[in-house]
Amino acid sequence: MASPATARKVAAEKRNLTRVNKQVARKHQGAFDGVNIPVAVAALLLVVYGCFIIWTASLSIEEASFPRQLLGVAIGTGLAIAAWNFDYRAFANWSHMLLVLDFILIFAPFIPGLSYEGGGMTGWIRFPIIGLTFQPVELVKLVTVLYMASVTAEYNGEITSLRDYLRLCAVLGVIFLGILIQGDLGSGIVVFVAGAVVIAMGGPKREWVLATLALLVGFIALFFALNSITTAYFDFPLISQYRLDRLLVFLNPEGATSEEGYNLLQSLIAVGSGGFFGRGIGAATASQSGAGFLPEAHTDFVFALLCEQLGFVGALLLLVLYLMLIFGAIHVAGRCESVFGRLVAAGIVGMWTFQIFENIGMCIGLMPITGIPLPFISFGSSSMMVQLLVVGVVQSIWRHRSKAA
Amino acid sequence: MDAQFVVIIAGLALVAVIVFSVFFLRGYSGKFTFDTKTGTTPRASEGEGNTQQAAFKGRFTVLSLGVGAAFAAIVAKLWSMQMVSADHYEQLAEENRTRTVTTPAQRGRILDRNGEVLVTNRPSLAVTAYSSLADDEILVRHLANTLGMPYVAVRRNIQDNTEGAQSAHTVATDVDRRAVAYIKEHGSAFDGVEIAERSERLYPNGTTAAHLLGYTGTVSQETLDAQEKSDDPAAIKYQSGDIVGQAGIEAQYESVLQGIRGEQTVRVDADGNVVGQADAIDPQPGSDIRLTIDLKIQKACEEGLQRSIAQARKQGYVNAGAGACLCIDCTNGEILGMASAPSYDPGSFTGGISQDLWNQLNDEANLYPLMNRAVAGQYMSASTIKSLSALAGLEYGITTADTVVTCTGFWTGLGEEYGQYCWDHDGHGPMTLQQGIIMSCDPVFYEIGKGFYYDDKNPEGLQEMFRRWGLGQQTGVDLGGEAVGRVPDAAWKKEAFADYSSEDQQWRPGDMTNLVIGQGDILVTPLQMATVYCGIANGGTEYVPHLLKSVVRRDGSGDVVENEPKERLTAHINSDADLELVRGGLKGVIYEESPSTAAHFNNLTDENGQPITVAGKTGTGEKTDEDEYAWFIAYAPYENPKYVVACLCEQGGFGASTCLYAIRDVLGVIYDCPDTSTESVSDSSR
Repeated sequence: MASPATARKVAAEKRNLTRVNKQVARKHQGAFDGVNIPVAVAALLLVVYGCFIIWTASLSIEEASFPRQLLGVAIGTGLAIAAWNFDYRAFANWSHMLLVLDFILIFAPFIPGLSYEGGGMTGWIRFPIIGLTFQPVELVKLVTVLYMASVTAEYNGEITSLRDYLRLCAVLGVIFLGILIQGDLGSGIVVFVAGAVVIAMGGPKREWVLATLALLVGFIALFFALNSITTAYFDFPLISQYRLDRLLVFLNPEGATSEEGYNLLQSLIAVGSGGFFGRGIGAATASQSGAGFLPEAHTDFVFALLCEQLGFVGALLLLVLYLMLIFGAIHVAGRCESVFGRLVAAGIVGMWTFQIFENIGMCIGLMPITGIPLPFISFGSSSMMVQLLVVGVVQSIWRHRSKAA
Repeated sequence: MDAQFVVIIAGLALVAVIVFSVFFLRGYSGKFTFDTKTGTTPRASEGEGNTQQAAFKGRFTVLSLGVGAAFAAIVAKLWSMQMVSADHYEQLAEENRTRTVTTPAQRGRILDRNGEVLVTNRPSLAVTAYSSLADDEILVRHLANTLGMPYVAVRRNIQDNTEGAQSAHTVATDVDRRAVAYIKEHGSAFDGVEIAERSERLYPNGTTAAHLLGYTGTVSQETLDAQEKSDDPAAIKYQSGDIVGQAGIEAQYESVLQGIRGEQTVRVDADGNVVGQADAIDPQPGSDIRLTIDLKIQKACEEGLQRSIAQARKQGYVNAGAGACLCIDCTNGEILGMASAPSYDPGSFTGGISQDLWNQLNDEANLYPLMNRAVAGQYMSASTIKSLSALAGLEYGITTADTVVTCTGFWTGLGEEYGQYCWDHDGHGPMTLQQGIIMSCDPVFYEIGKGFYYDDKNPEGLQEMFRRWGLGQQTGVDLGGEAVGRVPDAAWKKEAFADYSSEDQQWRPGDMTNLVIGQGDILVTPLQMATVYCGIANGGTEYVPHLLKSVVRRDGSGDVVENEPKERLTAHINSDADLELVRGGLKGVIYEESPSTAAHFNNLTDENGQPITVAGKTGTGEKTDEDEYAWFIAYAPYENPKYVVACLCEQGGFGASTCLYAIRDVLGVIYDCPDTSTESVSDSSR
């Protein structure tokens, strides 16, 4: 046990070191040395592209307020710059505080006074006095990545004990269950995948990861098998037919009669009818999104709107920007010298990849329908702010990549 | 749950693959690894170039591969949707955003030969509603009360999907303006209910010419089914609910009258609100039809027929009530007037006929008013056939112009036990053939019948003569439901009496003597008989009787297509003297047979006061248990025939005393010379 005096001395030394570090860093780096150009450019272009798309949506969709989107961009940019300046490594020491924060965020929509429900939406909070609404589950994605990275980084890139591996999986499972209870399956899966990528990158034995995957798939299959049996013999479905249909509607959208089936079909029509160059902007030509056939054309199904208006070319441009962003982030992860930084970057890569794949996949009939936004593009300031914050974190990792000090 | 099975099977397959790969990889661990445990060159440039750093590099490669795979899947799917199937989706999008509303074409009008309107259209208002409203009970009840219709009927009409699920369904047609005004005023209470402008058939002359004009109604399911199977590209494409002609001219010239419906394509938003017009094809109205009918003559036929029936009733024939009267221009076959009694109001069919009325129109007690007796009614020709019998007798040498038969009132030419009465039981005395025609003396013709029966060379010469003039065949008139008639002969009798004893199947002398005076099994329609007299008046040539004079296009061109008269047949005339003998006889029927008949025709003059000579023949068909069927057929002028007028009155008694009035009235209208004779006709000749 160090005496208080020793502790104070150590702390003072540490502060000193940090200061020196910064000075050294500033000396050796130019104005943009702390910025990873590919990630920054990709993020910038994505935001511009997204704003343009929301502007086209605002022409025919009343709720798609272009100024509000710009406000989200402005706040998000501020957050990103703040995060860039902030040494992300501090999060590594927060450790379990992050888990607590995570659960506070997950269940924030149930806190009286903060809870906000309107227009059939759940999972929102509304800050008292200033009256801003926010979807805390968006922030949960980042916090969970930070937390999982912080606990996984403790094993310094190689998890040798199965117990440790299982502990990490269990922690992630608890967070996932929390989001499920809160009632947002789509975001829950995004968080789960991001966390799983962190664990997988954290260095567990390959067999464990594959076995876990096999078990997961096996459990899902077993669940459906049991469901068939209980439905057939005991008339007690484990999952209601309605939910099941909703989940599986993407397998046969043209034959579906449910609202989801209709929505999905409209989305497919919008994407498909876009063709190579798209049908142009405006309700006269892009009727699916312009005349209201495409539901949630500015939020969850914004990719379909983009495809209808700008076609294959526009979609490809978007995908290229995403790839630039994601591979930029992977590059950042590779160049980062701390395990924590690598894992955070990897988690962010997992989050982005899965969220993009799930959202676009939903629009084009590859994935089940879940209500998650398309990063940087979908209308909604919560998502935009958090995504920009995430970009800030990536930049922070880049800026603080060296293991100096 | 097929989808569920797919998921289960796919899941199990994946588990198997993963479990297998775990063991497989374990067995060969070290060979298939992303980790670098040995043999990898540490990167000198990195501060701590060690295995851990290298291990991360391998993991990031896997991560990159995963990212790449996800994006590749997206691009592949996008390619297939936007590059390969774009047309399909574009079509779906087009179907989504446009809705096609058909605009009915106005049906062509029907005019008489002088351009007088017989059938036209009038605008009417219909109430339509979308099928989704059927469940809104309050609205449906409100609507039912407003329209004065039963709730159930309104609901059924709203739900009726025959007009297509997307379009508004017709709830009521021909809605009165007050109900329409009420619905418009209370628009918010009738959300989804719309007022549509329709057009309905209008008959300015009421029941006039009902039988030949016919009526309209909604297209039948059979027609729609037949249309499905047919692949005639020129055929009209009917939609359920279309108004089509169902009888008479309306049905006969349906394809001309119908027109081509227009299509209006409108852009709609997701809620079905019309946001713009995309495309419109204007409807092409149907062509107008000009009939050969002369409204004046048509009315004369109808009124004359009614007068004849009234006369018959006055004379005690209480069952009189049905009949036909028609007037043909024998020089070209144009039908100038065609009446059938009893009649009906074609206007009662617009907007759908009630079941009660329909039943009434098809009731025997009401004498089947829908039946056009001029073309569909089959009767024994009675003595009107005697003209042809005389020609046959002369041509086949059975008799000559000078042969004299002495009529005692009871003819025993076939033996005492087969004796037959002349209609005049007192007897006509000695009769030549022409006198026989004039007086309609039966024994004169019994002799001809007997002669044919025993003629080995031409036992069916009489029937041949009847057929030569077109009996037993349709005339080819442009009206549906034309009857064929029947010329009985030995073969026919054998077949018709197949269920009876072979003796009854025999063609007997009595059949022959019946046939020769137009009684018994012979059947003709009034139109057939009138056509025969056209031939007699023309010297053998019969034109196809027809109603269509011309078609006037209303598609902008205004083209008029004339319907050229067609020759039906020209009967071979053995010698002109024979025909003159018959014609002279027919003139005698009018002027010589009885003074009372002559009185009605002596006063017929043209506009210059010149007398018009008429020729004709009466007839009285005898049916067991029924009153006599009266016939009268005449043509005028005698010297240069143009008009043939025929009248038949079911159970109207004697031709000369009932049908005469119709004939005279029609001729009176043609020559603008009404009958002023008050002479009561007491002629009971057949």
